Amino acid sequence: MPDVPPTSAGKWRTALARFVTVIPHTRELGLEVLSVDPPEVTMRLPWRDELLGDTGRGLVHGGVLTMLLDTVCGSAVLCGLPSPEVCPTLDLRVDHYRPAVAGQPIMAEARVLRVTNAMVFTEGTLWQEPGRPIARGIGNFVRLGERNTPVGFAEALFGELDHA
Amino acid sequence: MPEGFHDVAWLARTRAEGDVAAWLERLPYARHIGVSASPDGAGDGLVFHLEPREHNVGNILLPALHGGVVAAFMETAGTLDLMLSAREPRLPRIVDFSIDYLRTARVVPTHARCRLLREGRRLANVQVTAWQESEDQPVATARLHLVLGALEPNDA
Repeated sequence: MPDVPPTSAGKWRTALARFVTVIPHTRELGLEVLSVDPPEVTMRLPWRDELLGDTGRGLVHGGVLTMLLDTVCGSAVLCGLPSPEVCPTLDLRVDHYRPAVAGQPIMAEARVLRVTNAMVFTEGTLWQEPGRPIARGIGNFVRLGERNTPVGFAEALFGELDHA
Repeated sequence: MPEGFHDVAWLARTRAEGDVAAWLERLPYARHIGVSASPDGAGDGLVFHLEPREHNVGNILLPALHGGVVAAFMETAGTLDLMLSAREPRLPRIVDFSIDYLRTARVVPTHARCRLLREGRRLANVQVTAWQESEDQPVATARLHLVLGALEPNDA
């Protein structure tokens, strides 16, 4: 198990909810953080018609699933490190198990499997109905280290909400 | 069923006309992130484009495009390129997708070119390269495996 910072799950939920709200793409799509149990994160993407790939059959665009896995795995990385660092995605592999259908939210769960000096290894799963995964992802993230993480990055995550 | 990917005649006609814009019109998420295609000046294929929209940003500090949006762009490019270059009009379904991020994708126009490495009877392998200023400095490479499905409703 990787070390996790001594921060409560509730604080992490608030911090990652802020994280996905600061990212313009996920803010626009209304991505929600349901729970955080470091180094595991669960999110929910509400339904909206922009997520469609195949309008004729009412299927979700495969790229939405890749984007969601990148986001949820990247969020797990933040809470899986001793202190939050900026960690770009090195590579991501997505297996499509079954199509995701229109009209239902998409659930996303990811966890950190291993942290080394250079890397963070993660995996994530998406589903609409429990027990029926629609896609699985393996994402590897590069640790840029504290030196390359902007001063105030952790404070920005955990700071008080402006409108609180 | 109205015109669309599951209308065999429509698919064959738009393919014959190289009307990738008609396909993109029916892909709301690709429209949302701003994907387009144009003839490749250097060959007979297509070059795909991703607009640097504000809502495609994933990192406001750098700033940089969302890596997942770049992936979705490349997946769209690979799928449509296969639909156009396959031996016959068929509707591919993605099996798996893998992307390597090589450089930060800045918030500027991004382009992609695809190569169909294998087209079997049931499966295809497509390689996609994305770049910004210079094609010899790619921001990401990706590859897709797709099942070349029959043109009929399928199971879930």
